[in-house]
Amino acid sequence: MLGKLSFRNAKRQAKDYCIYFITVIISVALMFSFNSIATSNDISELSFYMAFFSKAISGISILIVLVMAWLINYCMRFMLEKRSKEFGTYQILGIEKKSISNIFTLENIMIGGIAFIIGIALGTFLYQIFTSIIMNLFNQPYQIKISFSIKAVGMTAIYFFGIFALVLLNCRRKIKKTKVYDLLYANKKNENNMIKNAKGNVILFTLSIALLVGAILINNNEFANASNMVGRNIFIAIIMLIVGIYLFYISISSFIVKRYLNNKSKKYKKDNMFLYRNLTSKINTMSLSLGTIALMFTIILIGGNVALLMNSMINNEIEMGYPYEIMITTADGDFSKYKEYIEKNAKVKDMYEYRLYNIKGIGLSTAFEKTPFKGAIDKEIDCVLSLTDYNKLREILGYEKVDLQDDEIMINCLKTAKGGLEKYTKENDKIKIVGKDVKIKEIRSENIAQVGFNGSYYAIIVPDSLIPLIEKEDQRLRDKNDNNSTIVTEQEDGADKIYYLDFAYNFVATTENMTDEKFYKELSNYIIKQEREIAGEVNGEEQNYNIQISLANVQTKGERMSQTKSFYTIMSFLAFYVALIFVMATATLLAIQQLSDSEKYKYRYELLKKLGVDELQINRTIFKQLLFYFAIPMILPVIISIPVILGVGQIFTVAVTMEEIFKNIWIMLGMFILVYGIYFIATDVQFDRNINGNG
Amino acid sequence: MKKVLKVEQIQKYYGNKDNITKAIDGISFDVEEGEFIGIMGASGSGKTTLLNCISTIDTISSGHIYLENQDITEIKEENIAKFRRENLGFIFQDFNLLDTLTIEENIALILTINKVPEKEIDKKTLEIARKLGIEEILNKYPYQVSGGQKQRCAVCRAIVNNPKIILADEPTGSLDSKAARQLLEVMEDMNNKMKATILMVTHDPLSASYAKKILFLKDGKIFNKIEKGEKQRKDFYNEILDVLALLGGDARDVR
Repeated sequence: MLGKLSFRNAKRQAKDYCIYFITVIISVALMFSFNSIATSNDISELSFYMAFFSKAISGISILIVLVMAWLINYCMRFMLEKRSKEFGTYQILGIEKKSISNIFTLENIMIGGIAFIIGIALGTFLYQIFTSIIMNLFNQPYQIKISFSIKAVGMTAIYFFGIFALVLLNCRRKIKKTKVYDLLYANKKNENNMIKNAKGNVILFTLSIALLVGAILINNNEFANASNMVGRNIFIAIIMLIVGIYLFYISISSFIVKRYLNNKSKKYKKDNMFLYRNLTSKINTMSLSLGTIALMFTIILIGGNVALLMNSMINNEIEMGYPYEIMITTADGDFSKYKEYIEKNAKVKDMYEYRLYNIKGIGLSTAFEKTPFKGAIDKEIDCVLSLTDYNKLREILGYEKVDLQDDEIMINCLKTAKGGLEKYTKENDKIKIVGKDVKIKEIRSENIAQVGFNGSYYAIIVPDSLIPLIEKEDQRLRDKNDNNSTIVTEQEDGADKIYYLDFAYNFVATTENMTDEKFYKELSNYIIKQEREIAGEVNGEEQNYNIQISLANVQTKGERMSQTKSFYTIMSFLAFYVALIFVMATATLLAIQQLSDSEKYKYRYELLKKLGVDELQINRTIFKQLLFYFAIPMILPVIISIPVILGVGQIFTVAVTMEEIFKNIWIMLGMFILVYGIYFIATDVQFDRNINGNG
Repeated sequence: MKKVLKVEQIQKYYGNKDNITKAIDGISFDVEEGEFIGIMGASGSGKTTLLNCISTIDTISSGHIYLENQDITEIKEENIAKFRRENLGFIFQDFNLLDTLTIEENIALILTINKVPEKEIDKKTLEIARKLGIEEILNKYPYQVSGGQKQRCAVCRAIVNNPKIILADEPTGSLDSKAARQLLEVMEDMNNKMKATILMVTHDPLSASYAKKILFLKDGKIFNKIEKGEKQRKDFYNEILDVLALLGGDARDVR
């Protein structure tokens, strides 16, 4: 009989707390699919870096388990409280507390077990989708195959039932402790009301706003100087933010009361009074959980955006830094053997070798003051390309040819620097270069590999007629040292000045197909071996090996891509995983609280009905009530997170444009609101049904 | 006749040293087997507290309560469940039925808890349901039947195990007058034919008039005691009203 009772209770619970049940199922599905990815050989073999994915998933799982434990614990205790009368009745009927605990445990194990089984089934399906997305990202064919990782099931089971066991133990302890009198007569125990004094609340409210504004200012100030490492102030800002959020939710309800209910004309407008009273009474009793929810939203929004920013950054870095498939730079300039090797091992489309000249800085660093590269520009050295080489580099990438007069130069820089540079050169377009007066014709921002290859962030393009002078200056600098190193010391104003020169000879190639990690490894090994021989001739000594390696630098887009893609995939999937679980857990909590109170609200809305409000209006009022209720823990995080992200974004502006930062913010907000909105609508539908239905 | 319940100088205090509320202030009385006792009083007079103390839901501050010579104030926590299921039957104002179980299962539950052999459970359940006129609805769930039917189910549940005493807390409080009367007739019948001992708390004079004896409480003390004897129920009812008028004059408190 008790087993039957448990079974029926479980069935009813799953129905009453449908949203919770579904959330648990989806969470199990996500957990399982990610654990499957973590244990999948297909995925870890995709690239060297993808092996980190499984480690990252295991790490993230701790966070997921914590959030799930929080949700399940909250919901179970909530159900326990809602059912206190039922448990009181059991005791009155003479059922021992131990048996009552067993009933509760059994029904929750049933619910958990069913959720687990459905979750695993759904997770198997999700795993297929995720895997095919990842395979697609790596341009690998993927055939859907029914695979089922016992290890992943085991891991998921340990996480999930571990949480369940702990929460159930907690509940059993609670059942054991409560007295039958409390169960039967203490109908509803609200969460504790923190502060009752209205004046105190207004002070707290002001204080919370001050803390939040302060936290944002400190944060943004800290990130404005990217050159300073982000320091202790950030921790202060984080603490201020957390305290501010909690204080805000502790004090907001009386603020609303003061703002709206004391204003009679507003109070009596439409259904305002009814709504505000419903809301404030609820907020008042659950300020702590609202604070926690808001804090989680803030973390999701900021964390998610940082993840998106990092993704944008590494994507842009590829785009900016690797327009050519193969890029080699050496100190010595003999590429014949490399060319031979590359042509043998890859399908080459175009190849080109050229010189990159270094001259003493012509003062462009001031021009970069208004760009994100402020402070990151080498004042002492500028890189120079001849117009012919520049045009050839452009041609390979399919850009049109450009032209320069003899007294003109131009600058090609990264696109994130273009705006700031143009602002400067509009007013200062006359400049002196190797003793000649020239005019800066224009600023271009095509991607010609300027992340430390064809110059760091920019290069000066000069007409070919200037090249002899440039070459002389370059040679003068290089003559300063004797062993092909790129470090040059020069006496200037009575002090030693150190210059870091670029390697003089560059080589680029494009290929039909993207090269892979293996090609990169073999090519760089080959080049290192060659350079050693060459260097060996130069120095005549084998032991200079360490320096000799650095005499060439090889980069391939293929290798970089696989690294970036791995990083990109790991970041995106993990951010998605964490954010989804966070949003679902918190939205579930809100939904459960509103729905389980619908009994109480039903009475209030019945009263409205009796007073002559029709069903349509009631549904509208319900919609408004829920909308407010769902919006309250969300609005503050949105308001806080946007300036914080813009602040943090400052350190990404080197590679990410402002538009992209805003685009990321909208994407993140959009996804967040989508998931949150689904929960909101589900709650609204269920709520209407509870209020208007006969049940 | 045999004494079922003996209440001896019990007191129940709430609050702290500075601010003591005496919910029950030295009440003593006996209940004999087969008695139907009503306890009346205004809100706050201590009647529900008294019932809760007797039913082991609440604890007392001093005094003793004996149920057939067993001092229930000294039952240990681990034995309390057993004591309740073997000796007490409960009827609440709001029924307290388990809504995941059918009416039949709600009645049978108490028998299974008491480990009655399975064959007998069905027989006993059907028998008691027939007596109380709810055999038609045995397969329905509590939310599918009326309040009166729910309360009759609760009465079935309370009596099916032959408890030593049935404790009823405002059993008609949630019922309309017709259902209330039906229920009270059932309880009267149970008392007369099945010799059930019933202790009922109520503030409704009509409900109380079905009892054989009424204790009136005021401020935690027994204020008056009347017996029906051979009187007609209507006369007894008028007598109750008279006492209530004496009790506080404020008839609104007692409806």
